[in-house]
Parts: sequence; C-alpha cells; structure tokens
Amino acid sequence: MLKNKTSNRKKIVTVFFLCLIVFMLLMGRLVYLMVFHSEYYTEKAQQLHERERSIKAARGRIIDANGTVIADNRTVCTISVIHSQIKEPDKIVEVLSKELDLTEEYVRKRVEKYSSIERIKSNVDKEIGDIIRSYNLEGVKVDEDYKRYYPYGALASKVLGFTGGDNQGIIGLEVKYEDYLKGTEGTILTVTDARGVEIDEAGEERIEPVAGNDLYISLDMNIQSYATQLAKQVMETKEAERVSIIVMNPQNGEIMAMVDVPEFDLNNPYELPESVDPEMISAEEKQELLNSIWRNGCISDTYEPGSTFKVITAAAGLEEGVVTVNDNFSCPGYIMVEDRRIRCHKTTGHGAENFVQATMNSCNPVFITVGMRLGVDNYYKYFQKFGLMKKTGVDLPGEAGTIMHKKENMKAVELATVSFGQSFQISPLQLATTVSSIVNGGNRVTPHLAVMTSDREGNNTKKFSYQVQKGIVSRETSETMQMILEQVVAEGSGSNGYVENARVGGKTATSQTLPRGTGRYIASFVGFAPADDPQVLALTIIHNPKGVYYGGQVAAPVVRQLFENILPYLGEMDYN
Amino acid sequence: MTDRRMKKKEKQQEVFFDYTLLFIVLFLLGFGLVMLFSTSSYEAYLQFGDSAYYLKKQVFSTLLGLVIMLFVACIPYHFWERFATLGYVVSIALILLIIPFGIEANGAKRWLNVFGISLQPAEVAKLGMILFLASLVCRMGRKVRTGKGFLTMVLVPMPICALVYIVTNNLSSAIIILGIAVLMLFVASPDYKRFVLIALAGVALCALVIFMIVNSAGSDGMGFRGTRILAWLDPEAYASDKGFQTLQALYAIGSGGIWGKGLGQSMQKLGFLPEAQNDMIFSIICEELGLFGAAAVILLFLLLIWRFMVIANNSTDLFGAMLVVGVMGHIAIQVILNIAVVTNTIPNTGISLPFISYGGSSVLFLLIEIGIVLSVGRGIRFKDL
Repeated sequence: MLKNKTSNRKKIVTVFFLCLIVFMLLMGRLVYLMVFHSEYYTEKAQQLHERERSIKAARGRIIDANGTVIADNRTVCTISVIHSQIKEPDKIVEVLSKELDLTEEYVRKRVEKYSSIERIKSNVDKEIGDIIRSYNLEGVKVDEDYKRYYPYGALASKVLGFTGGDNQGIIGLEVKYEDYLKGTEGTILTVTDARGVEIDEAGEERIEPVAGNDLYISLDMNIQSYATQLAKQVMETKEAERVSIIVMNPQNGEIMAMVDVPEFDLNNPYELPESVDPEMISAEEKQELLNSIWRNGCISDTYEPGSTFKVITAAAGLEEGVVTVNDNFSCPGYIMVEDRRIRCHKTTGHGAENFVQATMNSCNPVFITVGMRLGVDNYYKYFQKFGLMKKTGVDLPGEAGTIMHKKENMKAVELATVSFGQSFQISPLQLATTVSSIVNGGNRVTPHLAVMTSDREGNNTKKFSYQVQKGIVSRETSETMQMILEQVVAEGSGSNGYVENARVGGKTATSQTLPRGTGRYIASFVGFAPADDPQVLALTIIHNPKGVYYGGQVAAPVVRQLFENILPYLGEMDYN
Repeated sequence: MTDRRMKKKEKQQEVFFDYTLLFIVLFLLGFGLVMLFSTSSYEAYLQFGDSAYYLKKQVFSTLLGLVIMLFVACIPYHFWERFATLGYVVSIALILLIIPFGIEANGAKRWLNVFGISLQPAEVAKLGMILFLASLVCRMGRKVRTGKGFLTMVLVPMPICALVYIVTNNLSSAIIILGIAVLMLFVASPDYKRFVLIALAGVALCALVIFMIVNSAGSDGMGFRGTRILAWLDPEAYASDKGFQTLQALYAIGSGGIWGKGLGQSMQKLGFLPEAQNDMIFSIICEELGLFGAAAVILLFLLLIWRFMVIANNSTDLFGAMLVVGVMGHIAIQVILNIAVVTNTIPNTGISLPFISYGGSSVLFLLIEIGIVLSVGRGIRFKDL
C-alpha cells in the first residue's frame, strides 16, 4: 500500500487554497452585482414584473346655456372571470347566466376556458354589476367603466357629436374639445408572474384618474328643441330633403341652436336607416353612408345663397357710397350685362322703385346695377372685408370653405351674378355670420358654441374668447341695413316672417340647386330681431321643397314661428 | 483502571467519524430542500397542481442517498479498489446505452431509466473516474513522476470525456470529468511546472477561441456555443435568445441586494427565470437571501472543501487520499462553475449546484461520494490527527 507522501499533502493544501482564491473572486463578482449594480438590476426586474392597467377617466360633461346636462357619463360594468381564481364554477355559471341574461352554455364555455382573464359581458348596467358583486364569487371580476350617454338622443346630434369605443370624440364638439373633455387616465400598477397573472400578495399601486372638464356651451336646448320641431314639420309638409336652421346671437356669435334634420340618435350613432340592408352593402359603403348621416350641413355643405346675399351687396354698395336708400331705379324685368340678358324674377319688371323698395322686391336688375357700380375690385374688396373668403372659425370640425371666382376671372357677367347671390357657394353658417356682422353694427363675429370649461366643482375655469373684427361696415350702414331689412319683412317679400309686437328684419331667397335646370330649389330666409338692435338671428334653409318653393312662402314662416316662440322666451318681445 | 477498560477506551478513540463533514452535508441538504421548495413551488403548482412536486421527488432521492451514504461509509474504502476497472468500463457502457435507450428531457438525451429511477450516466462516470484514477495512481506508484506516467494519466479520462461530450452533447460534464482528472493528477504528481504550463495553455486556448468567435460575430456559420459566448459578453444584446436565461439570473441576483427580498419573496422564480430550481437556483438564493445568504452558502462549501482537505491530508494511504481529492475536485469544480455561470462570469453552460439544485441522480451520487470520504475518514487514527 502506497503512503500518502508529504508532496501529496502539500498539493492537497495547494488545491484548497486555489479553491479559496476562486471562491473569493466569485464573492467579489457577487458584491459587484449585488451591491454596486443592485439598483440597475432591481429597476430592470421591476419593469419586467410590473404591469400597467389603465383606469378610464370620466369624460367631462357638456352643459347647455341653461345648465342642462346634454352629454353625460353612465357607469357601466364589465364582467369577466379569472380562471385561476375560480372556486365554484357551477355557481358562477348559474349566477352569471341568470343575472346577465345569457345562456348557460355561453357562460360555461368562458368560465371553463383556460385563460388568464376572460370577458363575459361588457356595458352592463351598474345596478346589475353591483348585484353580481354582492354574490362575492371568487374569480369573478366586476370592473367599472364609463360610457357616454346623451339624455336628449338625437337633439343637436350633429353639433354635439359622439364618442367611440375608447371614449374618444368622433365628430362635433366631442372631438373639437377632446383635450378638455377627455381627462387623464389613471393607472393601476400590478405585479405579475411571467404569464401576466397578477400576484395578489404584492398589492397594487394606484394613480387615480382625473375626470375631464365640463364644457359649457351657448346652445339652448329649449330653442334647439323647438327649432328641430319646426324643421321636422316643414320637412314633412313640404316633403323636403333636408332642413337646416341656425339660430345665433348676432352680437357675439354665440350659436343658440343648430339644426340639420334628419339627425341621428347619439346613443346609437352606428344605426343605419331601416331602408338599408346592412348585409347588402360593403364596409366602405356603410362608412360612407354613416358619414353622410353624421354630416352637419350647416357648416360642411355649401350652397348658392341667392337673394339673401343681396344683404351683402346692399351693405357694400351703401358703405362704398355707390347707392343711397333714396336712389331711384327702374326695372324692365331684365338687365343687359355685356351681351347677356339677365332676367328679374318678376319678368314683367318692378317698374320704378327706390333702393329700399328694390330690396323689398328683391329686384335682381337693381342689385346687378349696384354690383356694377362697385366694380370687380371694390366688390372683391368687400367680399374679403366681410370675411367671406375665410372660414368662419366656428368651433366645430369639418367646416367648408367658400367657393368663389378668382378675382382675375371675374368679369362683368360673373360680377352681376354674384351681386344677387349666384355662381358661387358659401356655407349656411357663413351667410348667417356675415349677415349678423352687417346688422350688429359692423363687427365680424366668430360663430361659436363653447363658452367655458371648468372641472365638476367649478374650479379651473377657462373662458373661451373669440376674435371680433370691428368696423367691417360703418354703424350708419349697419343701421340703414337694419331699417331696409325691417321694411322687407314689414311690407316686402319677407312679410311671412313678420311677428306681431316684434321688430323683425330679414331677407328671403329662392335659389336653384346645382346643377341648374333640375327643378330643385333651395328656399331660405334669414331673419333677425329686434330689427333696431338685433339679439337673435335665424337662418332657415329648406332643401328641395315640393310644391311652392319660394323662400318667402316656405322658409319665412318657419322663422316667424320660431321667433314667435323664442322672442318672449329670450325677453326680446316689444309689447308696446 | 483495569487493563480491559484501558483497551476499550483506546479502541473507542481509534474509531474516528467526521461528524463535522456529515453535519455540513446535512445542513447543505436541508438548506437545499428549503430553497428548492421555495423556488419550485409556484411553477410546480401551475404545472402539476402540487406545489411540493419537485420537493417530494428530491426528498426521496435525498433519503435514498443518505441511506446509501451511511452504508458506503461503513464499508472500508479499499473494498472498492477491485471495482476500479469495472467502474471505468461500466461508465463507458452506460454512456453508450444512452444511444438506444436514452430518455429525452428538456431537449437533451442524457438519462437512462433504471428500475423507474432516471439515472444520468455522466454522474456515474464522475464517480467511476475518481475511483479508477485513484487506483491507477496507486498502481503506477513512482511511475507517475515520469513523462510516460503523466501522459497515461492525461489520456485515461479522455475517452470518457469525449463520449460524454459526443453522446450526450454535455460539454459541462465533460469539462468536470476532465477537471477532476487534472486535479487528481496534480495531487499525485510532485511536479508543478507542467501544470503551470497546462494552465497557461488552457487560458491561451480559451482566449483564442473567444477572440475568434468575437471576430466572426455576425457571420452565419456559428454554432449555438459560439452564440453563447457572444451572449456571455453582452447578455442584453441577446436578451430574447441565448442571453435570456443569463439576463434573468442577473436580474434575480442584482435585485436581491445585500439582505435579499426575504425567503419565498423571489419574483424571478414565477416563471421568469427558466430552470430556476435547477442550474439557476443560486440566483434565487441571491434574490431571496441577498449577498448575505449567498456568502453563507459559499462559506459552507468552503468548509466542506476544508474538511475534504483535512481528511485527505490525514488519510493513511495514497488511495484514500486520492479518492477524497477526487470528490473534493468534483464538488469544488461544480460549485465554482455553477456560481460563475449564474453570475455570468463564464459563458452559460448547464451545471447544477451540488446538494442544492434539483436533480435525483446528482444528489444520489454526491452522497455516495460523501460516503466514501466518510469511510476514508474512518481510517484515520486519532494519534495521526
């Protein structure tokens, strides 16, 4: 047997010390990782383990001029099951199918599905959610959520707009004021295992959501509601395609009502008309159809304003001094512009008339004469000065711009037709705003709806201010226009807009829809009251009425009825 | 005092049993089971519906191992000398048996099924190698000093290393077996110069390989070992692939800090760190018990190696000493490589942590080796101490 020699023993000790040295080096490595780099790796690991879940913020409400809430939130619940936490699957299936009105098979399939979290039903009423919560079933999760709710349904639908699946604004004020309304999402930080399953013991960190700010608007739901009623009525009786009514305060541009029937149900914006079979159309066609349903004709469509535009020609002529109220004209029923003969609507002619009478008669040759006296340069100057070339700047998305001749292409014939409101297009809101600006003393206002925002407690108030361009016409011209337009209603073509005990000014129009010659007309009337100090202005546009289609006959009565109702309400009735 | 009683006392004193070693091993085993349960319970519950799934299997292997260990400890170690050559042959045979009968797990074919117990022939080979080399050194006697003897000692383990590497595609076990052989040769031979040269050559070879792989980075023809080395140099660049496990281990170790998150509080064991209960268990120890716990574990292993040194140095004959040196080399190499891997000190390769990592055949054969060491210890006479 061999002896264990001293040399062997020395070597064994050497091995031990070699091990010791290597162990010390590894210890050094551990100190390096666990002391000096601990923070770095801890942070990295935490990022890996934490999951962020967002908590939706309540969207700000929209409140009308009377303080009525017209866009609100409803608390809804989402019911889901967490497979790994389920203790009594049979009871869960029974309770959920009973309370949620679902078939047992449907619920059982989801309860028994091996997944981290399975949604059973969303948009469940809060009361039902509370009932389910009271069962205290393990593995059943009831998450509260907010859903937009519009108490007035279709009223002012095209103005308010609606929200999508993530509570984001899609059209109208909802999208325009998204930043104020949406609020700030909160988050729940939870710790999860590698599969994303939450670790209960680890607890959670919450950052509370901040609710969106309420939006206060100038729209008055009483006026809106009445205007909508009138619009529907006239659409029905005249079998019209569409009826738009804009009611605004000409002094500051606040919009009190904006109707564009047919409107749609805000609580169900994706519903198609019954005449359309959803199976028969493609997704693209469906979207196009929905877009046309949601389209706000008051601002997104343009039309030939026709005779209502004579207000602008008159104001420009008076301001430039090329015409006075006492100027005398003679209408033979037509006027020659270069080699063209442009007819008056009264083919036999109005005969001798002064400028006020010509406006009351809505006499085309007279306004062509005024336009010619102004000339292209001046006319174009006023067109621009009145703000007609720019958009109105209304706080709604999708505003259409003006379609007008280029100045260099504008010759005598074009000037003549523009003078009585033809051969160019503007949006209804542009007309209402321009007329407002002419009769309010000469200040171009910015039409708008939003007045202010503030949080629910009334703090953090922000008042919106809008641009006003002063002196687009002089005060005298403005007063003259008030007088002339009051005469139009009192004794002229707009007599159907007359309201007893009130001073109403206005102008009618009957324009053809483009292309011409299809026998389709647009009847319109713009009226304001009181004539000497306008506080409310209303524009009614009726598209393609059947039967009598004259603006004075069809559109003026609508404004009259509207004024009859809202003037006392607004306290603008003159009982003397 | 009568003569008889004197004799009895003398006899009592002659019987030495290294309780220190035994208690260190028992402590490591107990600690290992606690950490194994802590590490594996969550995943075990998810996979098998029983959070003690891994613990139960490991407890069974451990108890079986302890019984065999005590049995081996009672047998004089010279009994095993006659099986040295047989052990060598059986090792080769078992490794070859993997080719037709191997069981595949985790994508590698490394196990054999023997009476319902899955057995890793590489573990048998380690024990066989220790026994064979110890006996070979004794048979060679002074010839070990000659160049021919040295060469023989270097060449003898090569076939087994090559087989383990080729058949089971297990580089780490091959390295361990080679390492055991080199250490035993180092102790047996009085020479130093040759070993310094071998060490320098080894370091130079490693450096060359790494240099070549880094230079050819980006080219296509790189095997998975090449990518592993690149992932070792910059694990975050390979975070979704070869560097994933290493990076997860580093997250675990780094987030443990000085005092750790507390026993059972590891986050990385919740499915983030692959093989957490196996090769990567040391990083969970770091995460839960911190630098403090990691240092304690390293200290325990150091104590264990110190006991091996004491027993080897006091062994009456060279065969016993060489056996203990082999076991010492085996455990030391495995601990060092394991900790080096989890701390990304060396490229990632699968090496388990002795007594702590999950693995039945590993703990079984380690305990047999401890039994042999205890048996060698029993040969020590008190007067020699």
